[in-house]
Amino acid sequence: MRRRAAVASVIASAGVIIAGFQIGSAVSASRTASSSGSSGGSATSTGGSTGATPGATASPGATGSTGSTGSAQDGTFNGPTEQTPFGPMQVAAVISGGKITDVKVLQRTNQGGRSIQISNQADPMLRSEVLQAQSANVSMIGGATYTSEGYLMSLQSALDKAGFTG
Amino acid sequence: MTIQNASRPTAPPSGAGRPMSRRAQFRRRSAVSDLLVVIAWVSGPVAASLYLASGGLSDVKDPGSFFTALGIVTGLIGTDFILLMLVLAARVPAIDRAVGHDRAIALHRQLGKPALYLILGHAALLLIGYGMSSGINPIAEIGPMLTLPDMITAVVGTALLIAVVVTSLVAVRRKFPYEFWHVIHLLSYAAVLFALPHQLSIGGTLAAGTVQRVYWIGLYVIAIGAIVIFRVAVPVVKSWAHDIRVQEVQWIAPDVASIHLTGRDLRALGAGGGEFVIWRFWTPSTWWHSHPISLSALPTDRRARITVRVLGRGTRRLTSVKPGTRVSFAGPYGIFTDAARTSPKLAIVAAGIGITPARALLEGSQLARGEATVLVRSSTDDETFLWNEMRKLAEARGAQLFAMVGPRARNSWMSQQDAARGVTLRSVFPDLDRSDLYVCGPQPWAEAVVADARAAGLPEHQIHLESFEL
Amino acid sequence: MRQTFDTMGTVVSLEWPGNLSQLDAVRSLFEAADRRFSLHRPDSELRRVADGSLELLDASAELREVYATALGWRGETGGAFTPHRPDGAVDLNGIVKAWAMAEAGRALGDSDWCLNVGGDVLVSGQAAPGAPWVVGIVDPADRAVLLTAVPVVGARRAVATSGSAERGDHIWTRGRERAEFAQVTVLADDIVTADVLATAIVSGGAASLDDLTGRFDVDVLTVDREGGLRATPGMRELVAI
Repeated sequence: MRRRAAVASVIASAGVIIAGFQIGSAVSASRTASSSGSSGGSATSTGGSTGATPGATASPGATGSTGSTGSAQDGTFNGPTEQTPFGPMQVAAVISGGKITDVKVLQRTNQGGRSIQISNQADPMLRSEVLQAQSANVSMIGGATYTSEGYLMSLQSALDKAGFTG
Repeated sequence: MTIQNASRPTAPPSGAGRPMSRRAQFRRRSAVSDLLVVIAWVSGPVAASLYLASGGLSDVKDPGSFFTALGIVTGLIGTDFILLMLVLAARVPAIDRAVGHDRAIALHRQLGKPALYLILGHAALLLIGYGMSSGINPIAEIGPMLTLPDMITAVVGTALLIAVVVTSLVAVRRKFPYEFWHVIHLLSYAAVLFALPHQLSIGGTLAAGTVQRVYWIGLYVIAIGAIVIFRVAVPVVKSWAHDIRVQEVQWIAPDVASIHLTGRDLRALGAGGGEFVIWRFWTPSTWWHSHPISLSALPTDRRARITVRVLGRGTRRLTSVKPGTRVSFAGPYGIFTDAARTSPKLAIVAAGIGITPARALLEGSQLARGEATVLVRSSTDDETFLWNEMRKLAEARGAQLFAMVGPRARNSWMSQQDAARGVTLRSVFPDLDRSDLYVCGPQPWAEAVVADARAAGLPEHQIHLESFEL
Repeated sequence: MRQTFDTMGTVVSLEWPGNLSQLDAVRSLFEAADRRFSLHRPDSELRRVADGSLELLDASAELREVYATALGWRGETGGAFTPHRPDGAVDLNGIVKAWAMAEAGRALGDSDWCLNVGGDVLVSGQAAPGAPWVVGIVDPADRAVLLTAVPVVGARRAVATSGSAERGDHIWTRGRERAEFAQVTVLADDIVTADVLATAIVSGGAASLDDLTGRFDVDVLTVDREGGLRATPGMRELVAI
């Protein structure tokens, strides 16, 4: 190969690689840039988990977000992007008042290589977001199947008893 | 309809201004050739850069993801090499004019094994990388990988690629008849197409909506387009337009025959002299094997002549085609032409069947008297076919003609007699340094001539060696 | 009017306008289904097929139809729902209840009613003028407490819930010891779809959840082992504050 061509190839190749680096860094940076809030740190990795909420029982109001103090830990923090064979997966946690108040899915993998109809994904939801219900306000109780014995102790039987008289 | 190769470079008219324009032509040609070479070599780093630019490097944080990243990059570069190989084999006229078809094919061959290694490495590295990331051993990772969309077709494509490369290894290729090897080689198109779906459906680098995807699809369009246009469509159209048929087969030596052809506008086959054309004779025993054969004379509007030496079954069958046989062709190709000249003088050394393009070159070049010197070489008196024509041409063009007959001297391309007399290239061609040297003949002999020329200090761009490749 | 009765090892709660012949019809339907499909009864038709004393081809049209439907759902859910137990025996338990509920629903007609069979609910019309039927969903960690309540509106009619720690109906999870989801509630336009998909998602985990929510027009609320929730957009709208 002629020397001129060889030199030009080496220089051009180096340029191309460097350009790729630069573009790639910019792309990665924009992916992990924190939104307005404060110091974006690197994240509590919540990749894929369904929202760490304190406590299992959903007592009303216990986990409500207070969100008043703009403490240094508040803001939206993006978890690391996990690479899967089908694309990147990334979630972000919204911290307010020192607690996680929201979990957002930023990037979604395609399970099994097929793209999910984005319109109907089941995404994480916090207990504090759901309406706390009282059995007095419902007609029937849904749950995993109870046996006849289980029924006697269940909310449904209480409801039915009330319904007989109502 | 007149089909003309109007874009082929023609020699400038003779005259005082010629040396300058030859140099200028040479400069331009070498600039184009260098540009093509740069584009070809840089395409590999560009492929790797597709991955870098998608931000993939930021995901490398442990050995598993490192192997995965490496796997992705090898896949990109390996496929880039294969697409490059397709373009090189497509007989693109611009590439042929710039570097010559034989150099293009030589590079095509060189890329074969590296490309295969990169693709196999791609598969292995990804299995290892994903396996490490998910805690499964690579072998167990194969199962889940195969359930990904388009992976089965990708595996089939890889298997085809392996078959193509293995059968093309020189040691293996020799064992099979040419036709068998060629059919297997055509599977490379299938291999390339089978690999494409998984590249587009899996992974983030070439994801939908990215610039990388557009570029990648563009590469495929260029590679496959080049094949379809220049290897299939153009020859079909031209063959139909020129309507070539065999007129007569004329034996001019015990194993050498000239095939006379008729057709329309045949000057387009080789106006400059020295080009070769890839022919296909349509008889039941010859149709599947195409042959690159130089024209042994300048074609007229209605007539052309090629001269063939019988070297095997294929060439023997050619010499038994009947008059009226249809002939299709691709070309003309080759830079063994006056247009490739860079220097004021012309020196030709030809032996055996190599005399055919040399004779056409002598006939077709624009020459001032005394500009050209020709040496024809033969071991025996049997090899002197077409020498009478050379004599007449040399006389008519004012060129000096030397004949060197006799058994070959040891370690030399010359005859024993002349080697003993102290004949050298310079003694035959005193203006060697200001000459373009065109060498054509049996491969080992021709290479010896070229080696001698290099040893005499002749720059590479002034040496032209005709070797036939498909 | 509200009535309850025992069948299929569980309890049916029915709220409906009060026509007693309809109640009888529903009752007989469940009884007939239990007689035919229960594996606990030594003389049920399904038991005889499972034993081998009755050829499937000689079984009743209804049994074959239910079996075929179950196999169809096995295909649709990629095996997450299957009428076969790991030991190969045929168990149509997972679909018979919903099948019978659908038949009962047809018998009850278009009036306003609400049918709860062991935790799976099928409704028609409204609870009261302007007020949709509302189905509470228990918290799998404490079944004395409600997680939330789902109003059944629009084209939706069925709310089926499956759990991985159920007693009675045992859902065989595919290849895993412990299910990702402790409880899955599916809201759909028909009870068979809701029931099958709820079972399939418990069995197949997150992969099935993503696959099935993408392919079927249903709303889903899942509870994982730690108590975390996931909801499809439609479900989110129904249960969010």
